[in-house]
Amino acid sequence: MTTSAQTVFAPARAKTAAGTATVRRKQGFQHGGWFVAPFLTLFALFVIWPLLRGAYLSFTNANISGEGTSFVGLDNYREALKDPLMWDTLGHSAYFTLLVVPCITVLAFFLAMLAHHIERGKWLWRLCFFAPFLLPSTVAANLWQWLFNPGTGMINHVFGLETPWLSDKSYAMLAVVICTLWWTVGFSFLLYLAALQGIPDHLYEAAKLDGANAWHRMVHITLPMLRNITGLVVALQILASLQVFDQAVVMMDFTPGPEESTRTIVQYALEEGFTSYRVGYASAISIIFFVIIASVAVARMWLLRKREEGVR
Amino acid sequence: MGRPGLNRRQLLAGLGGISVASSFGFAALGTGADALASDADTRVRYWNLFSGGDGYNMIAMLNSFRKDHPDIAVKDSTLQWGSPFYTKLAMAAAGNRAPDLGVMHMGRVTGFSPGRLLDAWDVDLLAKYGVRKQDFNPQLWNRGVIDGKLYAVPLDSHVQLCFYRKDVLKKAGLLGDDGRMVPVTSTDEWFDVLREAKKATKRGLQTIGIWNSDQNFQWWFFVAFYTQLGGTWFNDADTEVTFDTDKATQVLEFLRRHITEGYALPRFGGPASAEQFVNGSPFVWEGNWSVPVYDTAKIDYGATPLPPVFGKPATHAESHAFVLPHQSDRGGPANEGAHQLAAYIIRHAQQWALGGHIPAYRPVLSTDAYKKMSPQNEYVSAMDHQATEPKVWFAGSTGILAQRVGPVVVSSTMGSAKPDTAARRMKSELTRLLASKNPMDGETAAQGGAVA
Repeated sequence: MTTSAQTVFAPARAKTAAGTATVRRKQGFQHGGWFVAPFLTLFALFVIWPLLRGAYLSFTNANISGEGTSFVGLDNYREALKDPLMWDTLGHSAYFTLLVVPCITVLAFFLAMLAHHIERGKWLWRLCFFAPFLLPSTVAANLWQWLFNPGTGMINHVFGLETPWLSDKSYAMLAVVICTLWWTVGFSFLLYLAALQGIPDHLYEAAKLDGANAWHRMVHITLPMLRNITGLVVALQILASLQVFDQAVVMMDFTPGPEESTRTIVQYALEEGFTSYRVGYASAISIIFFVIIASVAVARMWLLRKREEGVR
Repeated sequence: MGRPGLNRRQLLAGLGGISVASSFGFAALGTGADALASDADTRVRYWNLFSGGDGYNMIAMLNSFRKDHPDIAVKDSTLQWGSPFYTKLAMAAAGNRAPDLGVMHMGRVTGFSPGRLLDAWDVDLLAKYGVRKQDFNPQLWNRGVIDGKLYAVPLDSHVQLCFYRKDVLKKAGLLGDDGRMVPVTSTDEWFDVLREAKKATKRGLQTIGIWNSDQNFQWWFFVAFYTQLGGTWFNDADTEVTFDTDKATQVLEFLRRHITEGYALPRFGGPASAEQFVNGSPFVWEGNWSVPVYDTAKIDYGATPLPPVFGKPATHAESHAFVLPHQSDRGGPANEGAHQLAAYIIRHAQQWALGGHIPAYRPVLSTDAYKKMSPQNEYVSAMDHQATEPKVWFAGSTGILAQRVGPVVVSSTMGSAKPDTAARRMKSELTRLLASKNPMDGETAAQGGAVA
């Protein structure tokens, strides 16, 4: 069994590459341009412009009032690289990512398999797994803050624990991770479910005829066919997890958590900009963080391209 | 390619654009619709940070102002407490969209760029509406004075208190003949009291809630006990750190002892402190804003200032104060309305005292109605021995000082750092902060230090 997703969809790709493509592209630009214009305008206004503005501010000593700003060169960057708090908070974001990404990938796959194969009440399972994702982060965080309450919360009550989930530094980040898993697994679950439904039945039928058991079918058909979607889930989760902010902040009542254990880099940038009013310095931290995130995204694209080239 | 004619798609796109643009337009008008809807000649926009019981009391006071002054329309907005509030207030003032009247914590005024983000009060106008310096505790009034100008008028003092359950203390023999907790004057006496109280405490409950994992509360308690020991932060010129690490260590050891001796339990280190008290825990140290909470819970309780375990009474105090966020064209009826509204609320703070706060306007304190309020009448003396943060740009409620030093206090109380190590860390944080420049004007505390 050597068929993979690439070879199954190859004919469709070959057709688009035909001679008519150039003409179509030209027409597409004329008409499509109008369609994408509103998006591009908003994108430029709310993403590109703030990014450029932030990059500029990172070379200044700007404060929140915007007055008395002067150019300070690389001072903010020099300070940031020597700032132990920046490294600590970056570490917290990375630690959170390291915990969340593998768990969410495995969990999403498992739930998708369950929802895909279950016959009765399929819609209910799908709804249950996906519904939390529709909640605003503040609702999810408040809900879990309540569940984790050491005295009256359900978690300790049900499991007979006395764990100070939100007030001890050894558990606080774990609590944020658990809340995040419950709240966001629905998205990856949906991606997996769609991918599972896209695997042609005839592959399984052929395998069955060849005498492959359920385990073999999983290892030799399902997992290879899901390889691309797994790559996507992992990459999206890394990018999302590095930016963790709202659920941690709400669960910790707008503090950096017990002994500063849940202060993430985004929260630190926010504090520097909006509590300490050091907009220039906060911009420098944000730009450093942006470079890290962009590197992850670029690395992922590069890896994917190499793999596609390998397949060809 | 010539200019395309207007086809159906372009027409739709155009209409869509107009609707988006017009929605921005309406947003820019802001509360214009409210002004049109009201018959009043003057409109005062007022931002505050009061939710819960405080929010309820503030709205009641605003409503009575509205009834007494139908010519002034008050448009009040309540924003999220803490850093988010200060961020919005600063940005509104910087962008010249500031409200006519705002509320701040007194400790934050120095760092809020008086003169740039805040406008000074017209003292004569305040006097016209009945608010004069002589009606306030001078120390409290002077906290709002920067460079000789008044930037903040105090509404209240809010203090950290020792709440106690009368029912439990009675069982433990710790209630005096006057029905109040026995007085305590040393750390040993205090731990004796806790030991006795623990015997009378139901199983599963801690003896005292001290918010041991909360950086704000732990910092406030530290400020109180450090002041009891006569500790100082900086010299008068704000050029040198005078923080005494030996005294700080004593305080940190005292706080830590509550955990090591099992009176405060690590798992109830946050809001559970208050819940435990409602459930029957004999003590909780907590801000006076909890009075309405415990009143509603209908428990038999009292409240004193934090025990003077180091001899001299002192309890942490902050103060809600009225400020005038900077407007480039401040003046006219809206500005006068802001003075009038602030003065009215300050003078009618009887309602405000229901929220547990000690009114700053002294004539309210001498009314019979206030004297009858319990437990307010038990802790009103806290007004006269306030322990406050130093008057520097980085201090004040939920400010940078609390954010940097608060977690250090927690690390000692919870046991992950030794008290003397934590005290030294506090000193180095204070040194770093004193040397750092205020981003608003590029000056250090020494260069731009506030004049009390």
